[in-house]
Amino acid sequence: MNPAASILTIEDDPVLGAYVHEELARSGFQVTWCQNGQQGLDMARERAFDVVLMDILLPGLDGLSILTYLRKSHSTPVILMSALGAEADRISGFRLGADDYLPKPFSMLELRVRIEAILRRVALDRRPLPALPVRRENAPSLRFDDELGDVFYLQHAAGLTRSEFRLLETLHRNVEEVLSKAFLYQHVLQRGYAPHDRSLDMHISQIRRKLKAIGYSEREVRTVWGKGYVLSGHDDSL
Amino acid sequence: MTAFERPLKRLPGRHSLFWKLACLLIAFCLLMIWLSWSWGRYMEQQNAYLSEEAKTTLSGYAAQAEQAWNLGGPLGVDAWLQAMGKRETTWIGVIGNDLQSLSSYPLSSAQNQRLTFLRGLDWPVSRHVKGLPWLKIAFPGDPEAGSLVIELPQRFMPGRYQVFWRVVTNGVIPGLFTLLLCIGLYRLLIMPLNQLREQANAWRADQLNTRLSQDATSRQDELGELGRAFDHMSERLQGTVVLQQQLLRDMSHELRTPLSRLRVACDSEQDLAQLRQRLGREIDAMQRLVEDSLQLAWLDAERTPLTKETIQLQALWDILRENACFESAWPASRLPCLLGPECWVRGNLNGLAQALENILRNAIRHSPADGVVCLDGRREGEYWHLWLEDQGGGIDERDLERIFAPFTRLDGSRPGDGGFGLGLSIARNALQRQDGSLWAENTGAGLRVHLRLLAL
Repeated sequence: MNPAASILTIEDDPVLGAYVHEELARSGFQVTWCQNGQQGLDMARERAFDVVLMDILLPGLDGLSILTYLRKSHSTPVILMSALGAEADRISGFRLGADDYLPKPFSMLELRVRIEAILRRVALDRRPLPALPVRRENAPSLRFDDELGDVFYLQHAAGLTRSEFRLLETLHRNVEEVLSKAFLYQHVLQRGYAPHDRSLDMHISQIRRKLKAIGYSEREVRTVWGKGYVLSGHDDSL
Repeated sequence: MTAFERPLKRLPGRHSLFWKLACLLIAFCLLMIWLSWSWGRYMEQQNAYLSEEAKTTLSGYAAQAEQAWNLGGPLGVDAWLQAMGKRETTWIGVIGNDLQSLSSYPLSSAQNQRLTFLRGLDWPVSRHVKGLPWLKIAFPGDPEAGSLVIELPQRFMPGRYQVFWRVVTNGVIPGLFTLLLCIGLYRLLIMPLNQLREQANAWRADQLNTRLSQDATSRQDELGELGRAFDHMSERLQGTVVLQQQLLRDMSHELRTPLSRLRVACDSEQDLAQLRQRLGREIDAMQRLVEDSLQLAWLDAERTPLTKETIQLQALWDILRENACFESAWPASRLPCLLGPECWVRGNLNGLAQALENILRNAIRHSPADGVVCLDGRREGEYWHLWLEDQGGGIDERDLERIFAPFTRLDGSRPGDGGFGLGLSIARNALQRQDGSLWAENTGAGLRVHLRLLAL
């Protein structure tokens, strides 16, 4: 992960804006803070930022309009922030091309996880995927078939769906590494993560059931509370 | 649907107002046509014939003429004609069978010409004839002996009241019938609308509890539908207003508790770590409260159908069980799922997951120390009937419905500990929005919450 990633924050509330600015800078990001919508749009067009973080209610030009204008020429990842419960804002935000949506109030941890998820996805998108690390192990392992979009264990097909395959492949590529839900949503389901969204959990649940059905027990998808999921082979890892 | 059925589908329904209106108007038109035709004919006939009075008078004249001829011959006829000339202004003559005058005065050529076409006494007399018609009346005693010929006196001319009758039959009576039709249509169409208007006015005066009368909503036609829709609308309006007021009241009440605790924490001296921990806890509680309330309001206000997907209950239960076990430190064996892998339902994943999670949390919270919460169900036609059963002893029968109302807490538990009483209302709303239903029942050992969901 590039620690010097540049972030543009467009937030009119001086207290929240200053706090976000300070905290993100402490985490090692290069943060530019702007309090006005029109200025923010101009800056986002002039300079190349890695992530734009903005409020929806802004003086000058509101966040959804900025997003509309920005998307005409730039593909900079955008995270929208808005007051809790504005379901309509969330939906129109995603429709206009936002990469994630963060309901206020949020914790800094949450914000950091989401920014990192997006940065990581962008990095993955830019770089051609390396071939799967070749494993030479004594125990039989899972065989991923990209053409069929399925995995095999001892010639048994698991019968995964497209999303489940991509998810398991991502977890398998980063075996023993905890992947955040925000990242998995970004990378596998290509959308932002919302607290009540259970699609990812459902896919994980199905993967577990299908792997169990074909008798694969070498590794399993574990839940790491408050963080995400990991494909792990050690029972004592938690 | 076949090609034949499609145009039929576009016809209004059996109870539609269309049929009522069509029948009424067709019947009215036919009645009007029949009336004007038959009455017109009747009046025309009535007005074409001589009245009884005219007939007797003229027959009397003929008898007198015969008598005069029998008694005095031509001279007698002359004298009678002279006497008649004073009584009638029109021309009178008495003729024999050879069409020659029986008096001593011969007929002029013009009179002779008139005699060639003579009307009978019972013939219709047209209004369109020029001048007054001439009548020939044979002597009543001996019709062979001669006849009386008379130009019909003006006073016996039929059809004197024809204009009057024409006005009555062609103007007044159709007018009256049309008025009756208008009254009928008004009662049929406008009266229900007036009722709707009154109800709308009642809303304007903030009387949201007024409803339409029984007969306005029990009609089978379109106006009945409109009335029912109107009533449904007012029900929803009232429900929404009551819910919003209730939510606002309850929410401000609930927010006061963490706020006052924060105030106490702020005032009392505590070390920073403890204060921070406390702050975090209270903020979490407040956030959850606001989130839940907003979600409830959103679920209640939003009417667009949720996107539906197919969900395997076993897989969903695995997620929920994992969460619940982490939260409550229960072993997974205490949360069994007796449903098989064939239990697939159609619903909104997030809505259903949240509903089940809320019900499960509730069940766990009220379970005894080593209680078991179990999910079971069976297929019932197009639905899956599922139930979640705990061993928490159940609740009062009267509360079985009340627990689904927002901010209902039965055991008076403190806010934050036992939740805010929003979980089950959110669950019920979420299920209703995906065409499912939710209700509760006591089993004796505990509470059984039933779910009904569309099967795949």
